[in-house]
Amino acid sequence: MGSEPGAEEVDDTATRPAVELDGVTKRYGEATAVDDVSLRVREGEFFTLVGPSGCGKTTTLRLIAGFEEPSSGTVRFAGESVAGVPPEDRDVGVVFQNYALFPHMTVGENVGYGLNFADPPEGVTRDERVDELLELVDLPGAADRDPESLSGGQQQRVAMARALAPGPDLLLLDEPMSALDAQLRERLRVQVRQIQSELGITTVYVTHDQEEALAISDRVAVMRDGRPEQVAPPRTVYREPSSRFVAEFVGDNNVFAGRVTDLAPAERDDAPRVAGVDVGGETLRVAVGGEGGDGIAPGDRLTFSVRPEYLRIDEGESRVRAAVASAEFLGETTRVTLGWGGRDLLVRTRDPLSGEVVVGFDPEDAHVIGVDRS
Amino acid sequence: MLVAAFYYPVGTVLIEAVVVDGAVTLSVFAELLRDPFYFGEFARLFAGESPLAVARDFLSPERRLGIVGFTAYQAALSTVASVALGLPAAYLLARFEFPGRRTLRSLTIVPFVLPSIMVAVGFVATFGDNGTLNAVLRALGLPPVDLLFTLEAIVIAHAFYNAPLVARVTTAAWESVDASAVETARSLGAGPVRAFYDVVAPQVYPAVLTGAALTFVFTFGTFPIVLALGGFQLATVEVFVYRLVRDLSYAEAAALAIVELVISLGVLLAYLRYEARNTVSSRGVRPLPRKSPFPDSPSISEVLSRLGLAAYVVVAGLVFVAPIASMVLASVTGGDGALTLDHYRFLVDRQQTGAAFQVRPWPAIRNSLTFASAATLLALPMGVVVAVLTTRRYRGRKLVDAAAMAPLAVSGIVVGLGLLRGLVFGVEVAGWRFAATGAVAIVVAHAVAGYPFVVRTVAPGLEGLDRSLIESARALGASRARVIRDVELPLVWPGVVAGAAFAFAISIGEFTATVVLATGADAYTMPVAIERFIGRRLGPATAMGVVLLVVTGLSFVVIERLGGETRGL
Repeated sequence: MGSEPGAEEVDDTATRPAVELDGVTKRYGEATAVDDVSLRVREGEFFTLVGPSGCGKTTTLRLIAGFEEPSSGTVRFAGESVAGVPPEDRDVGVVFQNYALFPHMTVGENVGYGLNFADPPEGVTRDERVDELLELVDLPGAADRDPESLSGGQQQRVAMARALAPGPDLLLLDEPMSALDAQLRERLRVQVRQIQSELGITTVYVTHDQEEALAISDRVAVMRDGRPEQVAPPRTVYREPSSRFVAEFVGDNNVFAGRVTDLAPAERDDAPRVAGVDVGGETLRVAVGGEGGDGIAPGDRLTFSVRPEYLRIDEGESRVRAAVASAEFLGETTRVTLGWGGRDLLVRTRDPLSGEVVVGFDPEDAHVIGVDRS
Repeated sequence: MLVAAFYYPVGTVLIEAVVVDGAVTLSVFAELLRDPFYFGEFARLFAGESPLAVARDFLSPERRLGIVGFTAYQAALSTVASVALGLPAAYLLARFEFPGRRTLRSLTIVPFVLPSIMVAVGFVATFGDNGTLNAVLRALGLPPVDLLFTLEAIVIAHAFYNAPLVARVTTAAWESVDASAVETARSLGAGPVRAFYDVVAPQVYPAVLTGAALTFVFTFGTFPIVLALGGFQLATVEVFVYRLVRDLSYAEAAALAIVELVISLGVLLAYLRYEARNTVSSRGVRPLPRKSPFPDSPSISEVLSRLGLAAYVVVAGLVFVAPIASMVLASVTGGDGALTLDHYRFLVDRQQTGAAFQVRPWPAIRNSLTFASAATLLALPMGVVVAVLTTRRYRGRKLVDAAAMAPLAVSGIVVGLGLLRGLVFGVEVAGWRFAATGAVAIVVAHAVAGYPFVVRTVAPGLEGLDRSLIESARALGASRARVIRDVELPLVWPGVVAGAAFAFAISIGEFTATVVLATGADAYTMPVAIERFIGRRLGPATAMGVVLLVVTGLSFVVIERLGGETRGL
């Protein structure tokens, strides 16, 4: 079973990783799609590669599946290098964005195709195995149907059943839901996660949808330009982004940068120090605890973020006056864009806003992304 | 396989041309190039005369073109005629909706399966002294025209053959023009004519060029039509190579064949380079809406354009339908003009009483069917393998692509000659002497002629296959070969069958290589039989032509049933 979402990073070497990428690079001519990536996916883990298009996430998945060979570096399954092992010998199940069901076969033939090359589990006939999997994906009795007669969501589930039928060691999902509408996507991702948990199968999932990545994964690798920027559980990625890119890619965020003007000593031993940062002429107060926070001195350039939900109206220690620029009604909340000294500030509120407002945040709701020593 | 069946024979021809008495020499070429008989005024260029003097003479009315020059000249004329005849058809097919449009569109594939010798028979039956045209003219009290053995006859026959090709590729391009592109241009202020000029024409003219380039290559290497309609007095290179082969001057024949090869490969290569730069992939477009040929309240311009089309339809009907109809008619018309089955009876009688040296119908039919079946069995795996190879991505794929499609541009005479000299006369490999019989060589030659069509029908399907289907099968445990068997071939099966039908029909109608290889007494096929009849009596030739028409017509039905319409050709 995967680790509890939000659990702290554990030492990767404690258990042997199911999949390991060690300094893997993939070049296509001049372009580098995957740039010196090292990753470890734990046994039974639901691991997600997320990032904008062209970040190398799909290429990484294809390197694991064996559709591509790395230009340099090593891919290991359970400690063994799989260099030169063709996809058919890697014991992986793959689901593609377009499902790739064989149009000339029935649903049952599709699901059973992998059983031509791998025996079903002991004591189960081939037909039983097919029925078993169709039941697992909630499509009992669909074996004789024609794949093209199914809806997109149903086809996606058949593709999932087909990938799982031979009992692979590893399940690879390449944007399996991005062709579906939003509501169906949300329902299916719950189902996919349930099936994964039930089988305990190590899963690598590729998506460009950060919300989906946060919702479904044990751990997330946020990728950019062929490299993972941060690899961590969803909560960590959301609350403690390691770079400006991650902070802005995952969820809405307000990112600020400015010089440290003063440093207040910690009030208690276990409390962080608070820095005053000059942003556009206003001094904003930011807690600078934890690693890296110790060495901060006045004059350093600090980058930090404050999530919209922590920016509150007429509250917080650091306050600024800003004007409402636009508002999007989202149902439960309203996302309001404020203009402040040429910057956009995102705020979530329940009450409608207009005109000039004062917004603020507390030092501990700010997250330090980076420090440039002076 | 391809090497043995195509490149080895062609290589043999090449060697034949440069090796005289065991020494490598270019003298045969040099003589050829300097001979005004072949190169006309240009020969003097190669002989070292001043280009200016040559140019002046060339521009004078008494210029001599030579065989090669004449061949290029008639090919250029044929290309112009084919484009002129093909474009209105493309316009009609791409832009109008009328009953029978789909049928007509599929009929444009007919030339590929119509044996050229049969077309020649049809033209003789139409334009000959006692042909349909003159019969009509006489009935109208007009003087008869003598079109046979003139350049005009050859050009019209070539247009019959190639205009549908031009129409076909152009129609396909025209239909893939996205209506919203035209609508965008209109909304930006372009009038209908301007929108056509700016949006439609640039997308259509590469296809016209494709048709023109292929037409030029095909007509440059034309043989049966010129042989039957032009005779030796209007000989093209191909016909002359044949004559040299018959006269047993193999070195000169080989050299001339190489010259021909270089020219047609040059044109094809230039075209392929052009095409590579101009390929626009347009998928999922919404085609332009089709017009009705009979609008409810027509404007002046609509009436005029439709009158123009109507005139075209009459001309096209004359060119395309008349030869076939005349052939069928002539086969059931006796010397006195009355309906008769004499010609068919002649075929049956000849079968029963003919002497061994005479051409008998049954062996011709039997040979044709046997050769075609064997050639299809050979061409099919060749074509599928090449199609698989050409749809992969790897270094040097373009080279493989070009090498595999080269047979399209190489005339049957060259292949036939190569096989004759290389295989039939025997070849020594490691002390063993291999000699194929004429029949085997014919089958090989037909397979070589037919497999590019298998490639053409199979490759687009393979190309269009979703890569993730293949990858899914791989991930599920299937080896690469197994994926071809389980996934790729079943999905492109209609293309494979259409390719087989093509190969079969091509073999049935193949004349050029066969006539070179069938110099022996008993390996003749239907087209060869027709050619042997045509010199003596037209009636039996037309009857034989009808038999051939029926057989190829059946192949056509198979192609059509299996979706040949949507394929590349």
